[in-house]
Amino acid sequence: MFRFIVRRILWLLLVLLVVMFITFILMHLVPGGPWDREKALAPKVVEALNKRYGLDQPLWQQFGNYVWGVIRGDLGTSYSWADRNVISILLQGLPKTMTLGILAFLLAQAIGIPLGVAAALKQNSGVDYFSVLFSTVFASIPGFVLGILLMIVFSVMLHWLPTSGWGSPQQLIMPVICLAALPAAQSARITRASTLEVMRQDYVRTARSKGLLENRVRIRHIFRNSLIPVVTIAGPELANLITGSFIIENLFAVPGVGRLFVQGIFARDYSLIMGGVLFYAFTIAILNLVVDIAYAAIDPRIRYD
Amino acid sequence: MKKSTIFFSLLSVLVTLSLLLTGACKGSGTTTGGTTPTGEQVITLNLGGEVNTIDPNRASWSNERSVMMQVFDGLLAFDSGLNLVPMVAKAIPTVANKGISADGLTYTITLKSNATWSDGTKVTAGDFAFSIKRLFDPKLAAEYASFYFDIVGGEAYYGSADKTAAEQTALKDAIGVRAINDTTLEIKLIDPLPTFTQLLALWPVYPVRQDMITAHGDAWAQPDASGAMPYYIGNGPFVLQQWVQQDHFTFVPNTKYWGDKPTLTKITFKELTDANVALAAYKNNELDQSGVPGGTEKATMADSALSPEIVRYAQLTTYGLQFNVTKPPFDNKALRQAFSCAVDRLAYIDLVRGGVGKPTTSWIPPGMPGYDATLGQAYTFNPTQAKAYLAEAGYANGVGLPVIKFQYANTGSNPTLAAFLQEQIKTNLGVDLTLEAMESKSFSALVNAKEFSWAFYGWGADYPDPDNWLPQIFGTGAGNNKTGYSNPNFDALAASGLKELDNTKRLKIWADAQALVIADAPMVFLFNRETFVLKKPWVKGQITTGMDGQIAGDMFLRDVYIQK
Repeated sequence: MFRFIVRRILWLLLVLLVVMFITFILMHLVPGGPWDREKALAPKVVEALNKRYGLDQPLWQQFGNYVWGVIRGDLGTSYSWADRNVISILLQGLPKTMTLGILAFLLAQAIGIPLGVAAALKQNSGVDYFSVLFSTVFASIPGFVLGILLMIVFSVMLHWLPTSGWGSPQQLIMPVICLAALPAAQSARITRASTLEVMRQDYVRTARSKGLLENRVRIRHIFRNSLIPVVTIAGPELANLITGSFIIENLFAVPGVGRLFVQGIFARDYSLIMGGVLFYAFTIAILNLVVDIAYAAIDPRIRYD
Repeated sequence: MKKSTIFFSLLSVLVTLSLLLTGACKGSGTTTGGTTPTGEQVITLNLGGEVNTIDPNRASWSNERSVMMQVFDGLLAFDSGLNLVPMVAKAIPTVANKGISADGLTYTITLKSNATWSDGTKVTAGDFAFSIKRLFDPKLAAEYASFYFDIVGGEAYYGSADKTAAEQTALKDAIGVRAINDTTLEIKLIDPLPTFTQLLALWPVYPVRQDMITAHGDAWAQPDASGAMPYYIGNGPFVLQQWVQQDHFTFVPNTKYWGDKPTLTKITFKELTDANVALAAYKNNELDQSGVPGGTEKATMADSALSPEIVRYAQLTTYGLQFNVTKPPFDNKALRQAFSCAVDRLAYIDLVRGGVGKPTTSWIPPGMPGYDATLGQAYTFNPTQAKAYLAEAGYANGVGLPVIKFQYANTGSNPTLAAFLQEQIKTNLGVDLTLEAMESKSFSALVNAKEFSWAFYGWGADYPDPDNWLPQIFGTGAGNNKTGYSNPNFDALAASGLKELDNTKRLKIWADAQALVIADAPMVFLFNRETFVLKKPWVKGQITTGMDGQIAGDMFLRDVYIQK
């Protein structure tokens, strides 16, 4: 197990280096630079700005400097963001995005898994049809539409909740619901499908024929095994949620990290783009590792020693 | 891909409409006429997004101006009619009051002796001299520094990044700005620049505190971890109490303010980026003023609850469709004129801009010296005339024309504009227009490299004078000349107009220069933008100008009060 983890972490470093390299090449290939605007800056000004941010150096040197910076824990300076270090921008936004993401993740699983299991156990019943309806609706409605609809009902019509912003528990409610909608729908669908499949497995029939209590069959044999695909998608799902959503953070004016990457691309703010990609790649890789370790706990067939 | 775009556009329209239709809450209904402030004197406005920097020497965007205008007062300022008025300066420098030397090269400005910073210390000529010299600091890379390159030594110091520290110090000391004493500032120019007084009213030369900048570097204009701004000391009517990044700004009155004290006790600028959300927040009374989502202006005007809250006024902004005159087919003047006559500007404003905006056939907008309503009449919408120009260009009935492309940034109402143009050109000229949508920065890069053929372009006033509107955009090789327009007669007029000290003669020169440009039709001059916002009935005393920053009325928040 330990060797497995170490090996994976070494791979992770290589993956991050490759991701940095590809992103660096791509963002410099894209037409338009940070100083291209509708109202053009004077050539002398562009020259001074390039010098200030080291963009006057050859590309290989810029990449080298960046990698060396990352090794020392410096993700560079943002030039569309008041010269703040990208690390400090990430650290300031991360707690907010993570709060939203983790709450949404928990809410999604708390709704999706029980709903999926119930639907499977009572296939073709009212619960099942409700589950299908729930999943279809929330998997297909875009976040910004759901968000605006919630705002119209709870802020504009009922005046119960503030539309947007950050700081009070009330301000969490609508963004968390919007973020949780899609993963809850996905969880419900996948739990239902995998539970149905597991219910037809030989080992379930064996367990029943051994005369085990139905509850024990359901919990120990059906539920546990049906969770494997759910855990598989939970990793990327959680990564997705805690790295933040551009649309939801933009809509609800959440000062998180979800907007940074997209803003970075629009502004050609190279440090912000690199920082965003690195952060995203790192989170995905770590959570995939966690998922792999979790398999060992859930799936009796998987061992890493 | 295409389908989903349409689907999402439809959805967003639906959402916006439903937002409009859900009745706005009833206003207080008690408008008691008087001018006495009543109730809590607080206001919440929407800045629309995060700023990059609020360091006056470095800032360049309109939302940054909105913040700095509350905290700083410059030597001069604009009044509600956009006329210059003295602020920290005792008087507007003129040749008559010896503020400007007879040759127009030396400015001697006397400061009011009672102006103070928000910590109570005196604002001195030295503070202004420090600020102007810092504007040219090569390490700072200030974006508006180029506006001030007429100051002796400014450009040389700005471009000295590769020089040694000693050489840089020498260049800095050579800049033609000095404090003769605490209340007398002297500025020397290379060339006479009659609009230099206007530049003295802009943010890049607001005074800044040397002690704070020396002690704290760039952090002087940044919040600490709690959002407080301990080093951001200004000399204006408000103090920036808090800046929680990506969330909000809070201003409170400057208790040491030396001018007329403001009535508001607290101003909050929120940073809502989504127009639908801002409108919802307005309806939920979280905002006292908000814009409306683009395209919903007509529905807003038709809404009986919202229409009394509409505030509309003209901005000093002109939009046009610029041609690349350096390449075929638009190097052909008659063809440009044909296109100019073929676009129905009224229909554009009605169909694409929600009925908001004023059609124009010339460049300098109304509300500014140099505006001439009679200019460009030849380009009034007229399909018959358009076809005649097309034939004159050698392409009768469009025969022989190469593929005509229109490039645009795929944001806001631009896709609708593009579709509108395609239809207009087809109907009125019988010519097919190929549309090329692009991402914003790629579009800017394409235009700046003059690789476009026909593109949307807008210009807003930095200061209300023709010399901000003509030489930079139509002078041969000028920085913002994207069309590639080059006319020696125009260049000669511009060269003399920039230096002419007699104002009557000067304005005449610019009028002639503008007439030359309009006749050559390097753009289809399209429309002047209007601001269109909703304001709660209890917000009183608002003064709007054509040069407001990101927030309507932000130049005069010091005059606003609440009557609840």
